[in-house]
Amino acid sequence: MGPQDQPIDLTVASDRILVGRAVDGDVRAFEALVRRYGLLIRVYAGRVLGSTADVDDVVQESLVQAWQHLPELMDPGAVKSWLMRIVSNKALDVLRRRREHGDITDHELRIPDDQIPTALVEKRSLEQALNAVLSDLPDQQRRCWVLREIGGYSYLEIGRNLDLPSSTVRGLIARARKNLIREMEGWR
Amino acid sequence: MNDSQNDSEPATDADRTRRDPAELDGHTLDELSDYLDAGRAPADASIDSSPSCQIALTSLERLYRLSDTLLEAQASTEPDLDESWVAGILHNISRDSRAGRTIPVTHPDPAAELAITEGTVRGLVRAAGDMVEGLLVGRCRLDGDVTTPGAPITISVDASIGWGTSIPDAADRLREAIYGILIRHTDLTIAGVDITVDDVHNPAAKGSSR
Repeated sequence: MGPQDQPIDLTVASDRILVGRAVDGDVRAFEALVRRYGLLIRVYAGRVLGSTADVDDVVQESLVQAWQHLPELMDPGAVKSWLMRIVSNKALDVLRRRREHGDITDHELRIPDDQIPTALVEKRSLEQALNAVLSDLPDQQRRCWVLREIGGYSYLEIGRNLDLPSSTVRGLIARARKNLIREMEGWR
Repeated sequence: MNDSQNDSEPATDADRTRRDPAELDGHTLDELSDYLDAGRAPADASIDSSPSCQIALTSLERLYRLSDTLLEAQASTEPDLDESWVAGILHNISRDSRAGRTIPVTHPDPAAELAITEGTVRGLVRAAGDMVEGLLVGRCRLDGDVTTPGAPITISVDASIGWGTSIPDAADRLREAIYGILIRHTDLTIAGVDITVDDVHNPAAKGSSR
């Protein structure tokens, strides 16, 4: 069972092992990480960007950058949150560029909060129902909530990146919570 | 209902109090989430004694717990990664960035200059590890002055052990495999091979995570 006969199965390896190998130059280990977290970080990028446009570019660039900076990662076990931070930072860069080009259509023309339908799609789980609500939230509301609750950004960081006062960020997150909780309570 | 449609507008007081106070005994959801963030301290009797606030706090806590799994749940409903997309990423990464130090290789002809990279040696160590059943090799370090021919080098390897595999036995086989491959392919002076088993994996999970 040498490596020539059959490459070893890296899908069973922990993040630490995969990161260690990738830092040493093992492309297959990096590929295993890409496969492990690729879908997750794509969904995350989509949640921050609010559209499927640019998602592929953001995630590809993030992963190429991740390979480059992997040797600097202090805690190899924390690679997932490290990747997510790279992806959200890249997504925020894209949003900044969109703003500079005056392209702000992405968070307008949305349904007012109170009229957001409680998930109309078939709800197989509470998570799916909440995801449906999340998809229907106005872009800035969803973006702020996701960065705060999933990305772990502070109000100040979010405000700085989105060019919004912290108080606005706080208000948007409060409204997102309200919408999500309404769905959750309806679910009970 | 007025300005709440515009995301760029700061939330006004009217907006913030629009729905909550009647339901939450004068508190807002925003206040309650701050209260949670602060670990419910200092204790606020008007919150703690309000049934509606307690219900809202429970919902908030539940939402916090769920937020981590929301993305995972969404990702699990997405179609599989596109193979050409994965290939595109791997194509764009720079393999050269992991070469490390240059290790001179002695050659009978003194005029011939021959060298291998540290990255190549690490690759050999990995290859040796991959031949050892029940064990996965992680990070590998070459300690010592590899640029000086003949200088003693210690190889340090992190490894993960498969469930049910004897650690001393696997470590012996790994050490042997590493010595063997390095003696065959390099003229490094190996002073020792340090193996740190710092992880456990389940080989039975093979393929199931795909």
